[in-house]
Amino acid sequence: MTTTAQQFLTDATAKAADLRHRAVIQSNMASYNAAVARGKARFADWQNARSRAAQIKWETINHLDRYLEQFERNVIASGGHVCWAETSADACEYILSLARRHRVHNVVKSKSMTTEEIHLNDALEATGIHVVETDLGEYICQIRGEPPYHIVTPVMHLTKEDIARDFHEKLGVPLTDSAEELTMIARRKLRQEFLSADMGITGGNFAVADTGMIAITENEGNARLSFSLPRIHVAIVGIEKLIPRVEDLALFWPLLSTSGTGQAITSYSSLIGGPRGDGEPDGPEEFHVILLDNGRTRLLADAEQRDALHCIRCGACLNACPVYQNIGGHTYATTYQGPIGSVITPHLRDAQEWSHLPYASSLCGACTDVCPVRIDLHHHLLHNRRNAVRRRFDHPLQRLAFHAWLWTMQSPARYRLAGKLGALVCRLGFKPPRDFPAPAQESFRDWWGKVGQASCLSNPERKTGKMPVLL
Amino acid sequence: MNAARENILDRVRAALRVPAHRPPDPTDAPIFLPVINSEQRFRDEFAILKGEVVTDLPAFLKEFPRIASDVPDLVPSNASVRDSDLGVTGCDCLIAQTGSIAVSTRSAGGRALSVLPPVHLVIARRDQIVPDLVTAMELLRCRYDKHWPSSLSLITGPSRTADIAKILVMGAHGPKRLAVYFVS
Repeated sequence: MTTTAQQFLTDATAKAADLRHRAVIQSNMASYNAAVARGKARFADWQNARSRAAQIKWETINHLDRYLEQFERNVIASGGHVCWAETSADACEYILSLARRHRVHNVVKSKSMTTEEIHLNDALEATGIHVVETDLGEYICQIRGEPPYHIVTPVMHLTKEDIARDFHEKLGVPLTDSAEELTMIARRKLRQEFLSADMGITGGNFAVADTGMIAITENEGNARLSFSLPRIHVAIVGIEKLIPRVEDLALFWPLLSTSGTGQAITSYSSLIGGPRGDGEPDGPEEFHVILLDNGRTRLLADAEQRDALHCIRCGACLNACPVYQNIGGHTYATTYQGPIGSVITPHLRDAQEWSHLPYASSLCGACTDVCPVRIDLHHHLLHNRRNAVRRRFDHPLQRLAFHAWLWTMQSPARYRLAGKLGALVCRLGFKPPRDFPAPAQESFRDWWGKVGQASCLSNPERKTGKMPVLL
Repeated sequence: MNAARENILDRVRAALRVPAHRPPDPTDAPIFLPVINSEQRFRDEFAILKGEVVTDLPAFLKEFPRIASDVPDLVPSNASVRDSDLGVTGCDCLIAQTGSIAVSTRSAGGRALSVLPPVHLVIARRDQIVPDLVTAMELLRCRYDKHWPSSLSLITGPSRTADIAKILVMGAHGPKRLAVYFVS
């Protein structure tokens, strides 16, 4: 087992027993679930909305080369620049050289999981650039020095008391029990950052091919300030974020916000297609889009799991996942947590190191049911398990156990013997790691041989169908 | 960076040589419930979002000593965007389905005016209300195709956040209040 997998087990065991964590997450999930139910009620046909979105994303991903080139042409035509980045390092290097060229000292960032993926903050800070997260949740993460707990709700695991304490200790403000006051403290601090920033860095929820625009979904206005005030705007998106037409947003914006937070549409749904245009009073002098591969083409090459690239990062599968709720977002130790993270991380990063993630699932299928673009998540988790075993990433003991199980199940006599041995071991005081019912005094087979068969066959009620339980 | 471009596109093309399973086709059934009375629906949605509909414009403007306006005929400017207490803009359209207001760098005086000041007032006509997002996107396409503004936003209520324990707080970074005034 890799050390990453060991750490995962240790953290998962601890978190699953943490009742405070459980209470916080359950309270969050209750609000989320209620909001999403209200949001879905605004659709005439939610299932059809999912089907249409799945079809559009399928069309895009399966003709991705065409849409990428169209997108690039349109960005350049409206005065923007496009960088193709094969790896995290390439993307960071592009931003760093841009920062050097323009003498950038201060950077404001709006929430972007892609920048988390490439560890952009570390790269910027290493060269002495001051970089501030401006989404409230991400700002709190930055203050605490920890990664986002959830791709949509970065500090879902914290109470307002936790956050008040962090603000008190790190920002030197008085303790407060008001979420509004905490938000206003962040607003005042970050307003200064916006006004003095040289560069704004955002992600993008969609990249619209036919207009060459980045679409950004947010509630706070920090993304709008990030792409409005600084001299340079850089948007970094994975190559899978493409959608064909700007009209598709009439579906994708409500679909994303409904699945993400239950809102009909978020407060600000924006499109950015270039730097300040002719006759426009403000806006950045330069607009750069970074198209990031970083392992996505590996996932694209797996036709079986290609639909995982349809993901719009709404977080619904995390919220629906019983394992996520119990072990928490940080336990995954990945940029993308929960079911979608466990599907894509072995492709995007080292397949062996992350081969344990697909096992962090009960395969209940709740993730697949809620996915707004119909990604077959729980089957992909199973595919990843199969792929890991094929590549012999599984533990030798696990392999041995499955061979033993197979051998046992292939013969009634061996199965019978295994049952007896199992009961004996349990009675001798063996304690399995989880709660396990005590074995019955008599096995079903023994009972059936002695009593069951005779009594059932001779019972007249059997013919009337009143004993379906026994036969 | 051109090598990276070719490498990525080559990998994409190589990957796509193996076709992927196609999802079942959607039906023609409508996705969203139809919007019956657009103006009423806009007002209802806008109210739920804590948007304000201004009826007495002079009384509303009295609250704000420093105003930056892109609608100077109706509301004169007396401050820069950065120093203003109120930003006044026009818009492209209003969307009944979601209570949203579409603004662009051309229709609303650039990027900062509708997001930096603490209060945003939109001057609109009733005939700018469209029933739904699909119609709004069609309208934007008709108006701007071939020459899009550098930025557009659908504004749906004042700025908000629920990042702290899912407690709703208005005015995270953008305007704390959003108002519409209908001109005839």
